[in-house]
Amino acid sequence: MSNTSTINSQGPLLTNDGVPLKESLRKSLRRTKIRSFLLILVPLLFVLLLFVTPIAQLLSRSVDDIKINEAFPLTFAQYEVWEDKSILPSEEMFAAVINDIRITHKIENSEGRNIGKNLLGRSGTRMTYEYSGWRSLLLKTVKEAIKVDKKSKEEIKPYKWDAPYKERMIKRDKRWGKVEFWQSLGAMKDPYTMGYYLNAVDLRYDANKNIIQKVEYLRVYKTIWMRTLQVSLMVTIFCLILAYPVSYLLATLPMRISNILMICVLMPFWTSLLVRIVAWMIMLQQHGVINDTLVTILPCFEGMVNLPFFGATNIDLCFGDEDRIPMMYNFTGTIIVMTQILLPFMILPIYSVMRGIPPSYMKAAQNLGATPTWAFIRVYMPQSVPGIGAGCILVFIVAIGYYITPELVGGKDGLMIGNFVAREMQQTLNWGLAAAMGTMLLFAVLALYWVYDKFIGIDNLKMG
Amino acid sequence: MKKVITKTLIAGAISAAMLAGAAQAAVTLVSWGGGYSASQQKAYIDTYSSGEVNMISYNGGLGEVRAQVESGNVLWDIVDVLPSQARTGCDEGLFEELDRSLFLPAPDGTPMDEDLLVDVPNDCVVPQIWWSYVPFHLGSTFKGEQPSTINDFFDLEKFPGKRGIHTWGNGIVEMALYASGVAIPDIYDVLDTQEGQDMVFAKLDTIKDDVVFWSSGAKPLDLVNSGEVSMSLAYNGRIGGAVLADGADYVTVWDGQVLEEEWLVLVTGAPNRAAAIHFLIHASATEQQAGQARWINYAPMRPSALPIMEAGEPWFNPGLATEANIMEHMPTTDEHMKGGILADPDWWADNGQAVNDRYAAWMAK
Repeated sequence: MSNTSTINSQGPLLTNDGVPLKESLRKSLRRTKIRSFLLILVPLLFVLLLFVTPIAQLLSRSVDDIKINEAFPLTFAQYEVWEDKSILPSEEMFAAVINDIRITHKIENSEGRNIGKNLLGRSGTRMTYEYSGWRSLLLKTVKEAIKVDKKSKEEIKPYKWDAPYKERMIKRDKRWGKVEFWQSLGAMKDPYTMGYYLNAVDLRYDANKNIIQKVEYLRVYKTIWMRTLQVSLMVTIFCLILAYPVSYLLATLPMRISNILMICVLMPFWTSLLVRIVAWMIMLQQHGVINDTLVTILPCFEGMVNLPFFGATNIDLCFGDEDRIPMMYNFTGTIIVMTQILLPFMILPIYSVMRGIPPSYMKAAQNLGATPTWAFIRVYMPQSVPGIGAGCILVFIVAIGYYITPELVGGKDGLMIGNFVAREMQQTLNWGLAAAMGTMLLFAVLALYWVYDKFIGIDNLKMG
Repeated sequence: MKKVITKTLIAGAISAAMLAGAAQAAVTLVSWGGGYSASQQKAYIDTYSSGEVNMISYNGGLGEVRAQVESGNVLWDIVDVLPSQARTGCDEGLFEELDRSLFLPAPDGTPMDEDLLVDVPNDCVVPQIWWSYVPFHLGSTFKGEQPSTINDFFDLEKFPGKRGIHTWGNGIVEMALYASGVAIPDIYDVLDTQEGQDMVFAKLDTIKDDVVFWSSGAKPLDLVNSGEVSMSLAYNGRIGGAVLADGADYVTVWDGQVLEEEWLVLVTGAPNRAAAIHFLIHASATEQQAGQARWINYAPMRPSALPIMEAGEPWFNPGLATEANIMEHMPTTDEHMKGGILADPDWWADNGQAVNDRYAAWMAK
């Protein structure tokens, strides 16, 4: 004791070299802290770089309307003073469009390369999301309003695209006289917009930036969101129903047999996703294994059968070619295939929790007079809840963002929101909308996590 | 021991650098896979002696290109794109505008840009092929009267069975309007109106309950083979290829086919820009254009290739057991063009988002 510190009832505790013990302790603690921080530095950077940054970018893209505001500042300024938005705007706004085009098309980047032309091109794409036809109207105007004198290389203002702008522009292209084009600018006038989120739930801005519903025939996303939730929930429930008995078997059978069963669970898990999907196609399609078998083995009596006693008349007992059940390229197909694919994600956590439940508890319960069923419900099941919770959360979260399975087997009514995110990313290049839908998915998962924590407690979650 | 390790390391570094160098020299051409890519491999790449070209497949769309250009990490050199994407990509600056004087004129001296059936939409594009959306069925499916017009595709009573159509609106929208009785030259004028678009979806509603959707080019052949559908839309080359090369029993109904352009483009900031341009000049020459039709029944975009093919018949799979005349299988023959609709990519670039949203809503209904 006296080697390490000097006990002094009056003053503070001192170490051998006379430094107060508190100070010395703090120093060494700080050293440990720095060392441990350095140890986690690499993974921390990794997470920041590959996880936090992309998500932040995703979030910013979903509200970002900066580019179009850079291209058309004068126009949007005029939009603010346009009073009656049911009639065409004034001459000033027409002039602003042409002036914006003339200024923007000359914008250069820091290396002196012209980027203005592309900015206008991109604005055309952006504006077409709000109102069909904007792209060609804008590009035609750009092409005609900007002319360069061949000899002097100087820019000239073609008189047809000069004041009075309103009259001449409408004469050049009658679409400039359509008030809908002008009204659609309202949705884009601010550099940050909620428009993409509105779009993702079938809403939009009107000319005065009030939120209104889209026309009936363009409403698609609400249906798809509901279907995504429905598919994910149904897949989770079916997985649970199938996985629970299997996990119980795996956990309670002798090791030798349960190992073989375990391989049966893991084999499909290790098989390529695409192989499994194609295998299901062969099984489930209209002329697939199951339908062919049904048609071949089910009896086919001529005529109808009447069972008036049961209130049933004219039952067709024949299972012929026309009775083949549509199980593929629709909702049913998506559910069946996704359930099979996600099943291991449910089995594994439940199994690992069940392995930890001592069999003696069940025996004790039965010794105290409970029937096997009652003992199972009151003693065994509550202890397996952490596994059920983990499995359900895992399956639901994976299912909600599923893309490739619905794409291949979803057909007309089995597509999910992931397919629409892909469509906006790849085909229409509306990345703002894709980002908004992605962000909504992310928050749906976070909300689920919160609800789970609130009602069951996240510390109850056991992955194994 | 240490020396050996050092030596091995140095040798490894050198060979890695050489590999990287070699990889850098090879131009990357991104196309659609299947028989189409195979035809490009044989007609363009196998005949090209001035450098190495690697081909990879993609599933369409400009998502990857935009991501590469925006991040400044461009991996692709040349991409084979659809007509509306050829336009929006060039507008946005995703593709490079090319010096048109570099490209080879037709044998009679016509410059490349005038040796086309349509006006060249911008300076980014290099001509490829004409392909089309067509209805087809198995020759054995229907007894008696055979489908011969686009109306038959929408007539479930006369020709029972399900119909395979794709998950986006291009092509099928024009067909539906044509089948509703609109004359071909008026199609896009009518589509510009609300009533015209309502007409399209009213027509589509008549087959809604009997539709199976596909999204990849090989799928319609599976659907028809397995009996899942009795008739399907498909890319004409997929059917022609199966008929010509594999003797499949498919019948193409040319009435109402929707013809689409296909272009090659150079990605802005392509890693092997100079080599890629050199290859583009080779691939777009009349001779190579004709050569591609040796392996697939897509029509060359440059009409100057047609006389070469005609004179060389049997042009398809020369010297193989499946050797055949190709001209009659082209989507652009006079007879096939009678009921052929030339797609208007500018209309689609303007209205694609709205129409495809409506189409998606119709699908989900």
